Amino acid sequence: MDNLQKENERLSKKSNLSKSIDDVQATIDLLANARDSIRLLKRLLTMSADPTSASITLAKLQNPVKQSFDKVNEDLKDVHSGLTKYQKALDKKFKTTPFPTTEYDALASHPSLINRAIAMHLLREGQFSVASTFLSEVAADPPPSTHAEHPSEQKLDLNSLGSESLQKQFSEMYHILHQLRNERNLLPAIEWARSKHEALEARGSNLEFELGRLQFVWLFMGGGTHANTGNALNGPKGALAYARREFNMFQDKYLREIQNLTGALAFLPNLQGSPYNRIFYNDSAWEEVANSFTREFCSLLGLSADSPLYIAATAGAIALPTLLKLASIMKEKKTEWTTQDELPVRTHMPLYEEGSNNTH
Amino acid sequence: MSESTTTKLNAESHLLLDQPLLRLPHELLRKNFKASQRHVEREREAVLASLRTTANSALTDEATPPQTLASLDNMITRMQGLKRKLESLHGEEKCIHEQSRKRIQHLQDLYEIPSLVDVKYDEWSRVRLNRLLVDYLLRNGYSASARELAKGRGIEDLVDIEVFAQCNRIQDSLRKGSTQECLAWCQENKQSLRKNNVKSHVELVATKITNIPAKSNLEFELRLQQYIELVRTRQPQKLYEATQHAKKFLAPHKDTQFGEISKAAGLLAYPSNTSAEPYRTLYSHARWEHLARTFVQTHHNLLSLPSRPLLHIALSAGLSALKTPSCHSSYASSSSNANSSTTSVCPICSTELNELARNVPYAHHTKSYVENDPVLLPNGRIYGRERLLQMSAKVGMPDSKVKDPTTGEEFDRSEVKKVFIS
Repeated sequence: MDNLQKENERLSKKSNLSKSIDDVQATIDLLANARDSIRLLKRLLTMSADPTSASITLAKLQNPVKQSFDKVNEDLKDVHSGLTKYQKALDKKFKTTPFPTTEYDALASHPSLINRAIAMHLLREGQFSVASTFLSEVAADPPPSTHAEHPSEQKLDLNSLGSESLQKQFSEMYHILHQLRNERNLLPAIEWARSKHEALEARGSNLEFELGRLQFVWLFMGGGTHANTGNALNGPKGALAYARREFNMFQDKYLREIQNLTGALAFLPNLQGSPYNRIFYNDSAWEEVANSFTREFCSLLGLSADSPLYIAATAGAIALPTLLKLASIMKEKKTEWTTQDELPVRTHMPLYEEGSNNTH
Repeated sequence: MSESTTTKLNAESHLLLDQPLLRLPHELLRKNFKASQRHVEREREAVLASLRTTANSALTDEATPPQTLASLDNMITRMQGLKRKLESLHGEEKCIHEQSRKRIQHLQDLYEIPSLVDVKYDEWSRVRLNRLLVDYLLRNGYSASARELAKGRGIEDLVDIEVFAQCNRIQDSLRKGSTQECLAWCQENKQSLRKNNVKSHVELVATKITNIPAKSNLEFELRLQQYIELVRTRQPQKLYEATQHAKKFLAPHKDTQFGEISKAAGLLAYPSNTSAEPYRTLYSHARWEHLARTFVQTHHNLLSLPSRPLLHIALSAGLSALKTPSCHSSYASSSSNANSSTTSVCPICSTELNELARNVPYAHHTKSYVENDPVLLPNGRIYGRERLLQMSAKVGMPDSKVKDPTTGEEFDRSEVKKVFIS
């Protein structure tokens, strides 16, 4: 990389056309000077009308102009050598990197499925405007159908994707996330969780309580100054009032956690030195709650929390070196693997193994 | 398998998908350079020659001083034109240098990330996905989406919108039955095209990944199409033009394209509605689609662009690396069940990619990750005892019952059987 950076710098600082331009200007100057002096002579000598002086000027001009052009060519040579050096650095950089081929392109015959995956990816990433541009461009210019396609694959319209409802759902999600992350306003998230109480309960999700606990902590620390306190009191008193009002429903399952929260009152003057420090001074609490909200929200839509397109493409980049090596070995040995539809190598997937909450 | 070997990021081998990122601007730079070389060469010849004749005629008194001055002015104008052209090429050159610098920096960033589980890798990989998406959109002609995405994500310097825009324009013009734009492009890239027919690495790649032979001569194909269109009219005047055209543009290729030229000659004898082959095929409108494809192929070769979207490559590799035989099984997966208390991260099982993944081979999974102290539920599913009990307690099951976290079914504790792995 260093080498490439160096060669790129050479090109932008030195081996470029700026010198040629200067030398073209020098040539122009030569010609212009000659013209001016001939014009001057002409004016001085109109009486005697001696054209030979002009011819002398012109004769004298031949070599300098030619040399000037040679100089321009020299300049170009330097640009060329800079380009060659850069190319060498490129070749060296990618010497061991095979040019990506399409031997693994099992997807080319399913353009509609890919488009569908992209549309969903854009929606779930909150890129609603790009998604809608994309859907209308695809509708105007649908991919040519291929033999391998199932007829149902080709229908990438708003209805089959449910994109309108998906978009609505996701814009709700991003609205809540924005309030949570940027405005420190938990109320929209709490409201959403309450409306999905039963579904969350069935999944054994802690989200509702986590939100309530964070709201308590936030009130306790005096975070609320605006309207987003939901008209509640601020500070420890407000927090306590909030707990009395809201925590009843959590009593069965989260009694200990609730005791932990209210117990903190006793340490009020020196909370930081208390055993409750961890709950009340946790900087990442907001991000954790945001993530757990995203996960639950997507799960209720039947989607995973991270974009599958992102996971698959990243996994692909990680697996590719192994797969290409395999391809080149097989080509060399002229063999094929016999297990049908299964690759003979294992690829390491750190991303995937990390998601330990999923077991196949 | 230690942690470090699985998560270590080897930037060197990780750049497989990123070679075109640097190759393409370099090809553009070379093209830019060749253009400037051409301009300088042309003006050099013209100005030097004109200077010589002007000097000679001044010497021999053939030219009056005003004429001498006029031709000097003429030379100066030419040189100023040259300067303007070089300046505009220099401007372009500067943009490309800057763009390359940013691209190198982007790849350099990867070298500074030690591990695949680093947050920075996650960010980098998201940028890459956006790059791949823009590339895919551009290649499929969805330019507006591509522009919007690139702009929204601030990666305009990492994608080649203008290159593809021009490519798409020419491709469309061919589909609409016009050879003009494409011929102009051939003219512009004449030198590289000639070289490309004997060139090493690009061509090697081309023959490997396409059915279209790398030698397929785009310009010849275009000239042949023009000839076919002339013959199609069946008007005597046009037929005469056609033979002239063939003499001028097709005949020079007789060494490599003899077969095609003979067919073209035969075409004169057949009307456009003939059912006789190969003339029917020559007259066919599908030939324009073939031209469009050949053009895109040639264009991508010239600029070291892979012929297929990189997204396809990344996705199919990723899908086969992740796919397991259970992904398309008829057993319920957690993502298809709202009662499930787990969230699947398996992209193959996701709504988005499930259908797509049917077409790729399975990964080779030599290691299974079995939880400690496995127990079997009456529905045939196996879980680690501790985790099963924990999750059941979490969803509020009484002590005597367990709940399958994937399907949501409930069972008596007494129905749970211990599993011994042999």
